Amino acid sequence: MKPEVAISILPLVFVAAIFQFMPLLTRPGIFFGATVDPEFPRTADGRRLLRSYRWQSGLWAVIAIVLAFTLPPRNPGLVMLAPVLIMIAGSSCAYWLKFREVHARYGQRRPEIRQAELSARPSGESFKPWIWIPPFVAMLITAAYLQARWDELPMRFPVHWGADGQPNRWASREPLTVFAPLLIGAGMNLLMLALAWLFSQFARNTVMRRITVRLLEVLLYPLTFTFIVVALLPLGLVVPVWVIPGFMLACVAGLIYWSYRQIAAPAIADAVPEPQSDAYWKAGMFYYNPNDPAIFVAKRVGVGYTMNFASKWAWVVLALTLAILVGSITLARPAK
Amino acid sequence: MRIDLDSAVPAYRQIVDGLRILLVSGKLAPGSELPSVRRMALDLGVHFNTVAEAYRLLAEEGWLDLRHGRSARVVYRDAPDPTSGTMKEFGYRLRALTAEMLAKGAPAEDLRTAMRSAAQELES
Repeated sequence: MKPEVAISILPLVFVAAIFQFMPLLTRPGIFFGATVDPEFPRTADGRRLLRSYRWQSGLWAVIAIVLAFTLPPRNPGLVMLAPVLIMIAGSSCAYWLKFREVHARYGQRRPEIRQAELSARPSGESFKPWIWIPPFVAMLITAAYLQARWDELPMRFPVHWGADGQPNRWASREPLTVFAPLLIGAGMNLLMLALAWLFSQFARNTVMRRITVRLLEVLLYPLTFTFIVVALLPLGLVVPVWVIPGFMLACVAGLIYWSYRQIAAPAIADAVPEPQSDAYWKAGMFYYNPNDPAIFVAKRVGVGYTMNFASKWAWVVLALTLAILVGSITLARPAK
Repeated sequence: MRIDLDSAVPAYRQIVDGLRILLVSGKLAPGSELPSVRRMALDLGVHFNTVAEAYRLLAEEGWLDLRHGRSARVVYRDAPDPTSGTMKEFGYRLRALTAEMLAKGAPAEDLRTAMRSAAQELES
């Protein structure tokens, strides 16, 4: 298999692996997003449901990979995106069907006991701004270095590479194009910083909050490193095409594994537990509780936070996040 | 502090009762700051008005100082002399609760012990 073909199916394999392990990336007592006996996943019925879901999800992965090889290569964006979207839609549907079965046949109802901390300053993971300083300093140093060696930068340099490793988009030597990777990196870092602050202020003090804030802090470093490497490429830095996506995938996979170990540890209890009832979770994945003022709620499956889709502020945050993401990429995107 | 959202008792009443136990027993001493309405509502998963109403009732009883722009603060409070109406109301509520527990099969001796230890715990 050619390296460029391997790179094009790498995201597919990664997403397929996430869907295969998704039912296990959860807290004890939750199975396919439904509340069950903590021992249920180990019973014969639990194993049967997991097997059946994995077959269905695996089938969607095969369909997506076949599609990636057979789609006409005229539109590379479509070739990369369509199979991933089809796999996500198909596997999510399989997941939703399993949630319905588990909830209806094996679901349990836990008492809706809520707990609050009585100290004016809540305990737990606090927001540590100093952890966020080094990545910004590193990007500033890189910017100064690029500025100092401005004359050594070529008048035209590649800024985008295809799956075959060949450059397919070029930019001329201008401040916006030269500093674009650092600007995008700073934008991403600011977004993650804002999210970490929002979680520390507007999410309940749970194990998930600690994990998520730590995850964002750690992820900032490989992300910054990646953007710095990309920013230095015009100066002649030679990096094989697979190194950057491979490095990021390895970091994300490692962090997911660490998070799963933390979430699955039964000994860790939340200082302030999240609402328990399955009634608030649509399809086992989407939280909708008009009585809950929380904007962010710990996900039942996977790592991190989802939103309370009954809160208008959740939609505002979602729209702002998307606007920052799309805006920072669009603004910094150089012309062909 | 805990509340049960499945209970027939309204959430604001449970918050008042729970906080009053801590105030009477001295676990929340004068000068202590309570969490903001926003933080407490977020933790409990209830509307901001529910917590605000609970704080307002406790302020009316003389337990809390609620000044605009400041967090709720526990203040020193002299217990008033109980009126005959207060004692009558207590007797009625106690009888109703005792009857409910007996109807659920709780032994009378256990209820006596529980009442004694509750009174001792709150007195100290």
